[in-house]
Amino acid sequence: MRPDIGGLTAAFFNAYNVCIVPELLGAFEQAVLLTVWRLAEEAYGRAILRGVQSALNRQVAAGAVYATLDRLEQKSFIDSHVEEGTPVRAGRLRRYYRLTAAGIKAMNESKAALEQMWGGTKWPLESKA
Amino acid sequence: MIEKAPPRWLEGMLLHCLAARDRETISGDLLEEYREEQVPRFGSLRANVWYLCQTLSLVSVWDLLGPALKMPLMGISVFTAAAGVWLAVMENILQHTGYAGRTVIAACMALQGVATLLVPMLDGRAIFRALLAAGAVALGLCGAAAVERIMEGPHFEGFVLLIGCVLVTQGLLTVVVVFRPRHGKML
Repeated sequence: MRPDIGGLTAAFFNAYNVCIVPELLGAFEQAVLLTVWRLAEEAYGRAILRGVQSALNRQVAAGAVYATLDRLEQKSFIDSHVEEGTPVRAGRLRRYYRLTAAGIKAMNESKAALEQMWGGTKWPLESKA
Repeated sequence: MIEKAPPRWLEGMLLHCLAARDRETISGDLLEEYREEQVPRFGSLRANVWYLCQTLSLVSVWDLLGPALKMPLMGISVFTAAAGVWLAVMENILQHTGYAGRTVIAACMALQGVATLLVPMLDGRAIFRALLAAGAVALGLCGAAAVERIMEGPHFEGFVLLIGCVLVTQGLLTVVVVFRPRHGKML
């Protein structure tokens, strides 16, 4: 679980003029979180795998997606619950994921940080040579 | 109509390597994709290749090695615990110079053996894993030092050589089995 920096800790950092940098998510983590957000109630493993492939426009290994989901769940950015499976999957359970408040905050911070970083830069970049 | 399914051995390998929590859900996701998308679109052969690739992305060498090494590690831990107790008792009976320090080392050996046997119960606790890792490294170094001393010393003592080799093996096995990457079954 990510520690919530607030109160006395924040006062200490402010007093000593220490900049608190939010933990930025990697591109793949953002793709997974965004897919979970878009799928809403339908965000289970297979749908997320397909959604990430579609978002990144390339084939993605299932292992990479499940490892990322696992890591994000450990960081409390998502939580999950299981539901009954369908006959096509031989009745095996489905694990559904949902963004937590911490996950939404992390996504907003990552987007804001990227926009700030790119702010005022003409895009696409061109060679200066 | 009989539903298409991936080869049984392949699915068995996947199920064997997944953590209990993910066994049903991940294998279900792959089966669903296999039946609804891969087989109708690409046919059985390519669907099987796809399933194999996905399985390999979820399985690591550690997942395959870990369970196979579990029993040897448990056996060695019993030996280490017994050897530690035996050494501590003998040191206190014989009381050669510096026996107190060696008794403490023997007791630590016994403790590490017992701690490793408790891994299946306490594996999830980070502090326990950290202590076990430190113990495993110390045990391995201790064993290596004992082996080196016996090989270079004037008197050859078979039991010290045996215990030294066992300590080195236990140190290595503990690190390999307990500290595998995620997504595999823990010990």
